[in-house]
Amino acid sequence: MADMDYTAAQDAELVQASRQGDMVAFEQLVARHRDKIYARAYMMMRNEEEAIDLSQEAWVKGWQRLVQFQGESSFTTWMTRIVINLCLDQLRKRKRQRAESIEAMEEESGGVERQMPVVMVNPTEQMERAELRVRIDEALGKLSEAHRTVLVLHEFEHMEYKNIAKTMKCSIGTVMSRLFYARRKMASLLQDLKTSE
Amino acid sequence: MKEDLQMKLQAYLDGELSAGEAKAVLGWLAQDAAARNLLVELTNTRAALLSHESEMKVSDSREFYWSKIRRQIEGEDKIVIATKRISLMDRIHRLLVPAGAAAAVFVAVMLALPRTNGVGDGFADAGDAVAFTYHNYDSGTTLVWLDYPAENDLSEMELDDTLDL
Repeated sequence: MADMDYTAAQDAELVQASRQGDMVAFEQLVARHRDKIYARAYMMMRNEEEAIDLSQEAWVKGWQRLVQFQGESSFTTWMTRIVINLCLDQLRKRKRQRAESIEAMEEESGGVERQMPVVMVNPTEQMERAELRVRIDEALGKLSEAHRTVLVLHEFEHMEYKNIAKTMKCSIGTVMSRLFYARRKMASLLQDLKTSE
Repeated sequence: MKEDLQMKLQAYLDGELSAGEAKAVLGWLAQDAAARNLLVELTNTRAALLSHESEMKVSDSREFYWSKIRRQIEGEDKIVIATKRISLMDRIHRLLVPAGAAAAVFVAVMLALPRTNGVGDGFADAGDAVAFTYHNYDSGTTLVWLDYPAENDLSEMELDDTLDL
């Protein structure tokens, strides 16, 4: 452990060393992947301070659960799942505090998206990469928590419907409905952002 | 367009349909322009999202960000150690409390016994109208009878007073 070149070491080596209690190795993993974990937390929470706190909490949990990491996925994928679960817990707590029922949200998304006119022109066409990033970020911020979450899990975490349903503790039908609404809303928002220039 | 058809179209895009279902959707798409348009929109949106990479970065320095994590990890470790120590103390405590209580009762009984000369059995009134002791000096056994007040009429009356009947 003492001879390890931490900056050059692979994630798997650092994970192995961390499992044996090497905090320097773990700190190296944190330094490497903290932006990605934070970005995912921010994408879900839309609040910088909360995202920082949750990402740090995720690292603490990651350290405590290192023995459970079997290497079936990459270390960052594993860590991302931890931070997503923490964000979901936080969103549930927030929802309970607001006494906002999921059913009410379902009604909100139960038909509106079907009335929206189809966006025929690709609103992101010929857009610079940086510009596209800002636009999508803005549009994501305008979605409800439930719709944004399902979109993040499907499009960024590449999770199947059934896994999203399990993670979000809802039915596959709800996942499909939310995803459909979220996509249609995103198309509409991106179109609006383009035409409002 | 019906909701179930919209969901089917989306599931087709996401590769969540069986081969048979996907073939059916393809046939439907060939005949329905509105379905084709919707599929184009969904495809464009998905493509835009897939290319999206967040540039969000932690604004805190590496050291500052890590310091909070380290403190929490070290704090958790201390809690675990403290819990282990407490549980050992708990086990000792569990043994000591009944043993101590038994010893205290024994001492109290012994002190309450009147000293008699000679060897033999003896009854003694322990100074309480409802407590009697019997001591066998040969075997070193002491028995104490306690006549509990709950068996008295007075106690029953007092008990009735406390109930809201």
